[in-house]
Amino acid sequence: MRSTPKTEGWRPTRWLSGGVAVLASALLIGLAVTHFPKAPIGPRYVGAGHQSPQSGGTLIFSAGSNIHTLDPHFAYDTLSTAACRLLYDGLLDYDYEGNMIPSLAAALPTVSDSGRAFRFELRNGIRFHNGREITAHDISWSLHRLLSQTTGSPGYPFYKSIVGAPAYHRGEAELIEGIRVIDDKTIEFQLDEADQTFLNALAMPFAYPLPKEHVEKLEAAEGPDAVGRHPVGAGPFAFSRWERGVQVELHRFEGYWAPQARVDRMVFLENISPDVASARFRNGDLDVIYRPSKVNRLFMRESKAWAPYRAEVPSPSVYAIGLNCELPPFDNVHVRRAVAFAIDRSKLERLNPGEVLAASQVLPPMLAPYDPELPTRQVFDLERAKEEMRLAGFPDGLSEPITLWVRGEGDVRGAQLFQQDLKEIGIEIDLKMVSFATYLKETGKPRVAQAAFTGWHQDFPDPSNFMDILFHSRSIHPVNSENRSFYRNPRLDAILDSARAEVDREKRLALYAEANAILADDAPWAFLSYAVDMFAWQPYVKSFRPHPVWLNEYRNIWLDLPRERVSQAIYDEGVAR
Amino acid sequence: MMRFIVQRAVWGVLVVMSVVTLVFFLIFVAGDPAVTILGPQARAEQIADFKAKKGLDRPVPEQFMSYLGLMPCIRKDSPKYLRADGTRGFCGILQGDLGESYSHHESVANVIGYRLPRTLLLASLAVLFELVIGLTAGIIAALRRNRWSDTAIMFATFIGISLPTYVTGPIALLLFAFLLGWFPFGGYGVDPLDHIYHALLPALILAIAGAATYARVMRGELIETLRHDHVRTAKAKGMPMRQVVLKHAIRNALLPIATLIGLSLPFLVGGAIITEKIFAWPGLGLLTIESIESLDAPVIMAVVLMFGIAVQVGNLLADIAVAALDPRIRLE
Repeated sequence: MRSTPKTEGWRPTRWLSGGVAVLASALLIGLAVTHFPKAPIGPRYVGAGHQSPQSGGTLIFSAGSNIHTLDPHFAYDTLSTAACRLLYDGLLDYDYEGNMIPSLAAALPTVSDSGRAFRFELRNGIRFHNGREITAHDISWSLHRLLSQTTGSPGYPFYKSIVGAPAYHRGEAELIEGIRVIDDKTIEFQLDEADQTFLNALAMPFAYPLPKEHVEKLEAAEGPDAVGRHPVGAGPFAFSRWERGVQVELHRFEGYWAPQARVDRMVFLENISPDVASARFRNGDLDVIYRPSKVNRLFMRESKAWAPYRAEVPSPSVYAIGLNCELPPFDNVHVRRAVAFAIDRSKLERLNPGEVLAASQVLPPMLAPYDPELPTRQVFDLERAKEEMRLAGFPDGLSEPITLWVRGEGDVRGAQLFQQDLKEIGIEIDLKMVSFATYLKETGKPRVAQAAFTGWHQDFPDPSNFMDILFHSRSIHPVNSENRSFYRNPRLDAILDSARAEVDREKRLALYAEANAILADDAPWAFLSYAVDMFAWQPYVKSFRPHPVWLNEYRNIWLDLPRERVSQAIYDEGVAR
Repeated sequence: MMRFIVQRAVWGVLVVMSVVTLVFFLIFVAGDPAVTILGPQARAEQIADFKAKKGLDRPVPEQFMSYLGLMPCIRKDSPKYLRADGTRGFCGILQGDLGESYSHHESVANVIGYRLPRTLLLASLAVLFELVIGLTAGIIAALRRNRWSDTAIMFATFIGISLPTYVTGPIALLLFAFLLGWFPFGGYGVDPLDHIYHALLPALILAIAGAATYARVMRGELIETLRHDHVRTAKAKGMPMRQVVLKHAIRNALLPIATLIGLSLPFLVGGAIITEKIFAWPGLGLLTIESIESLDAPVIMAVVLMFGIAVQVGNLLADIAVAALDPRIRLE
């Protein structure tokens, strides 16, 4: 028992002891940190060394957000599409060179009626996961489900060139006239006008067939969203379970028509942020990673140990500054060209090492007729930019600043680079930062945004998917315009229309090359960059290659696994050399 | 007491209704849900179709009344839009219908139903940690007032309150999951025990700030209570110190803590957005932020509704708990 009561107030000894305690704990933590195990700098696990493909194992991969649905008729985001790619199969597909190949169809279709009719023969032995053989009726029924207004799928615009599709969509017809089932194995599509991109549309996940009996039973019992929860398709993997927001699990479908998948199970983790995914991958808990976090991406690029197990591929997308061709000063082609020549795109490459490539035209590098030597390509050339400003009648620059719409911090960093670049030719930029929602709503209206950050990711690999939608005058609307630079050029329209109908591939590409040159020269967009995606995989993951269309393609993977993973963590870069 | 509860309930319903009304209209100020959901690649036709399907082409007041359930259903994808006998049904919140999520292609009740239990698990673990750690630390600090252990605890609480979860979360992941491997690296796990194991680290991180607050409040209150007459009397009667503290002091000191716990109920339901994101915990917090970004109006509305109700119930419970703990307080 203390004899003297303690007094409140400042007492040096108390503060001293507190300080010592803090100092000591800091020292302890510091010591502990230096004795923590190190993270391996190379792959933690290697394969068992098999040369030929082995069956078995579970492939684990992840994504940064949610899978929204497993119903292909509603899958319109990257993740849902990637999952549907494993569960379902369609008439057509793409190989690793980006060429169209038959999948459920026995061969590419016979084209008749000057490119307006396509007849498909189905392969033998194709089955749904419920074991039933797929017939032409299934293809037809699924497209009817897709295009009905009751279903309300976002896929409709891609198929509206089928004869009678619009009337059916409006509810004015019982059936789509242009879809004709000839017999169980033969189906024919009749289009209103010749349209080569129809085949691309048929290769989209929207057109993947579903078994009617399964869908009708489910929808009657559980409502219209039930198919997305209990998918039955014809793909190489069948559905096991889906813990919502956590993971989708699939297993190999033994009745698949093509060489069967090698992996027993697929686990697709959801909502794993890039940082966590990267750390898990380096820890050996994920088998394949797509788009690691920025820090890990830099690490992987530098690391020699990871070099054989990573790939960087341009994604089929383009980023740009959209210039509103209806609003001054961008109604003047010379001002637009001046902007296109004034931007030093190499700064973007330095700001985001390995993540972007300088863009010079609307088409990304993997999509024909991309031309690295395009005479009208947009490149940084300050002298030509100044010359164009003189031609435009603004030798001393613009008197008013330009308003550039940006969507957030990421855009702002890039925009600050261009602010400097454009100052060189006498153009001041005011940044207008808006929410993504406001940006989408407002930039789709004419005469609102003078200039805006913009971009496009292909829906399917065809130049029309970039040019028709973004720059055809048909794509201009009073609201929600797809042509957000409001660029009108009758000559371009005519070229695009004839290219769309052209059956001969060479002639078609020549027309698109011409359109490509016009767009680079007229500069409704000042093209900035193509995105580059990084993939990395564990050494025991074999036969993985990024796919030019689907990017994440896991159908052919096999795992070189012994009974358990072989740990061979490398803590020193020297070992890898 | 009964009258108080009824009064508060009526008041609560009014507050929730006003919040719901306000948010409903704010969503349309923020942007166009159809345009935002379909994203930058959308065709004008897709947007028009989507609006027709969801009734977003109707006047906003009609949409609101229909959402409340006071006017007939305008969502063409709802089974109630056109009933079998040809009449229009109602599909609003008054009928218990929260609608269908715009982005998830699934009913809002389902979407929330999957996630609410996960958020409840994480949050209740966090509150448990807060109480156990916070109260223990507070009591120790109060009893050992002005000794070095008190100083150390108070210093720690000071740091605990100051450090945001977006700092402590990644550090904890790096140390305990990546380098030491004691805890799983984020995620939710596959079976119930696994879920709890996955929840431990994020719950601890979530609990840091709360525990620090509880510790400081508890220390202050307990020191105050120990000076009270009844405590002195108990001590004078020769009651052992241990019993004095446990029986007479702590119960009094718990009053403000009860209020604090009641006020944290909305956080239990609403989820911890940042922590869920860092630890890839697929709960309501993640859903909320996603829905706001994509203007998934039905989900935003449902979350707001739930959150509003939780705030009201939490406050009410806090008041009742205080009255139950302290017979001197009468609720009028």
